[in-house]
Amino acid sequence: MVNFFEVIRRALNGRYYTETDFAMKVVVPKLREVLEKYDIRYDAENPVPDDDDLADRLFQAGLELCAETGCYCTSTSRVIGFTKQEILEGLRDAPSAPVFGEGTDEKTMVARQPESDEPPYCFLGAGGGIATTEDVYVRLVEGYGRNPLINSVTCPTITLINGMTVQAGTPLELLACIRSVELGRAALRRAQRPGLPIMNSIASAVTDAGKITGSAFGLRNTDAWVVGFMAPLQVNFERLNEVAYVRARGGQIVGESGPIMGGYAGGPAGTAVISVAYHLLSVLVLRASAHLNFPIDFRYGCNTSRQIMWPFSISTQAICRNSHLPLLNLTYVAAGPMTEMCLYEIATAIVNRVASGGNIEFGGIAKAIKLDHLTPMEPRFASEVAHAVAGMTRAEANELVKKLLPKYEDRLADPPLGKKFQECYDWGSIEPCQEYIELYGRIKDELTGYGLEFN
Amino acid sequence: MAENSALKDLRLSIEQGDEEGATAAAQAWVEAGGDPMKAVEKGLREALRNVGEQFERLEVFLPEMMMAADAGNAVMEVLEPAIAAAGQHSESPGTVVIGTAKGDIHTIGKNILAMLLRLAGFQVHDLGEDVPATAFLEEAKKRNADIIAISALMTSTMPGQRDVVSILRDTATRDTYAVMVGGAPTTQEWADQIGADGYAETASGGVDLAFRLIDRPQLS
Repeated sequence: MVNFFEVIRRALNGRYYTETDFAMKVVVPKLREVLEKYDIRYDAENPVPDDDDLADRLFQAGLELCAETGCYCTSTSRVIGFTKQEILEGLRDAPSAPVFGEGTDEKTMVARQPESDEPPYCFLGAGGGIATTEDVYVRLVEGYGRNPLINSVTCPTITLINGMTVQAGTPLELLACIRSVELGRAALRRAQRPGLPIMNSIASAVTDAGKITGSAFGLRNTDAWVVGFMAPLQVNFERLNEVAYVRARGGQIVGESGPIMGGYAGGPAGTAVISVAYHLLSVLVLRASAHLNFPIDFRYGCNTSRQIMWPFSISTQAICRNSHLPLLNLTYVAAGPMTEMCLYEIATAIVNRVASGGNIEFGGIAKAIKLDHLTPMEPRFASEVAHAVAGMTRAEANELVKKLLPKYEDRLADPPLGKKFQECYDWGSIEPCQEYIELYGRIKDELTGYGLEFN
Repeated sequence: MAENSALKDLRLSIEQGDEEGATAAAQAWVEAGGDPMKAVEKGLREALRNVGEQFERLEVFLPEMMMAADAGNAVMEVLEPAIAAAGQHSESPGTVVIGTAKGDIHTIGKNILAMLLRLAGFQVHDLGEDVPATAFLEEAKKRNADIIAISALMTSTMPGQRDVVSILRDTATRDTYAVMVGGAPTTQEWADQIGADGYAETASGGVDLAFRLIDRPQLS
């Protein structure tokens, strides 16, 4: 595989473009060309398509796109380019079964296949959600850790430290990053899961300095660092600084991409193709041990709409059939905690992703933008659905998703925000309130009626 | 009838992002003695409004919108001299300085709003990403702006929006510019808390807000 020093050399010496020209004169026309060449067309009728040939053509389209565009480094305005041969070599040498966690919580993440009966790896927690105080943060993470199906945790973002609002690029960011790691570790010990890996590194980190500094206060090489691309197909030196740091200390990276449906990638078909390209670049540019992808519907700021289901599913199938680098899919729902809609959105998304071959990260509640609007119940529900879906055929998943979408899709533009963690949970015991337990049970019973078998 | 057909050609070329076709249609209009302001109002602006509405319905995407805007700019290059020669002037609803807050590199939402504002006829000066508060102020002063628009996608970059309002107050220029904020974690409550003039949840809502802010009485 092309080594990391060579990646940096290309970032410094690659072909020069302005940012707009790279997007509009390189990515957009090439994307349109491969959509045509490989006959990739959005199928509105089938949110979980069942067409292996389409999945494989999509992978070839993503591979060609990646080889033609490369990755744009915004720090130098130059392209980190790769030949098709280099991309395929990278794929050949990519990790296939990374191990995360310690002790009884050590777990291998596998590259699943569509319709696999292997339960998905469950990376659970806040999914970028926002907590106000340290007390809320600790209770949430302890609550996440109590879920027996959790394999790794995603900690929330802290917005206040010592009563001051955390501001990126200031000492408050560094202090918040340090505090996040210290509190996250302590909370997992309280949950009796000290070996559970923290997989999103530090959600409070905006800068490379924040992430690297915070890491020194309790992140382990058995955790993981999420390092993300920018759209379209872009990276910068802050992110590559993080890659250099993590590699030097022997840690593992989860590459991340969030293509925006409606943005430079265009509609559902373009979003599916660019998802494959991100996966391939993750191996070479971010040196990833796994990749996390989360297409977002621009109109709603979440990924549970009808139109986002198809690109999510077919890109996951394309990747899982053609790459052994494990893939995670992150879900953002529009509705908030303790609402019917939130649980319906979770069920729909998880059926869509797991039957297609993905592992899961869950997840962003109320689009992960409402303070304290997240609880341990939503990731628990996601993980129970995920285990129940393992082994489901794509045809079955397609029918189930079509049944579930009408239960919420007309409310995506104006979803119920639900209640805060403090209103859904007992503060002392960190247990959900009766109202939430009953709602949870009712929706699970309904899903059982649709054929899901919960343990 | 011929006039309607010419305007239709102009609109279609712009909507399709056909810069050459749009330029040719605008030139043909001017050479035929057509009213250049009519071409702006009934051709250019209507076409761009259509494209903006199609984008909201996800019938076209960001690249198509950018190409339509480029075609629109090419048309204006043809029409502006004709407008000046006729002793008229093209009215823009206002001038907006836009960027993402200090520390924030998430640009797509900001880019889409900038594009929709341009399509709506605003003069837009885009400062890009990770913009210090003082840079917003300097640019607003330089451009004699009406509105400063600041996007933030992370809770820890939202304070950059507050800093802009705060410095405007400290420099006794708070009433010179309207300040609008947006981005996923921001809310009306946040806008009220920091003393911004408006908040919009969506890009199209941002355009509506900009029009409302332009009409506010305290703008000098």
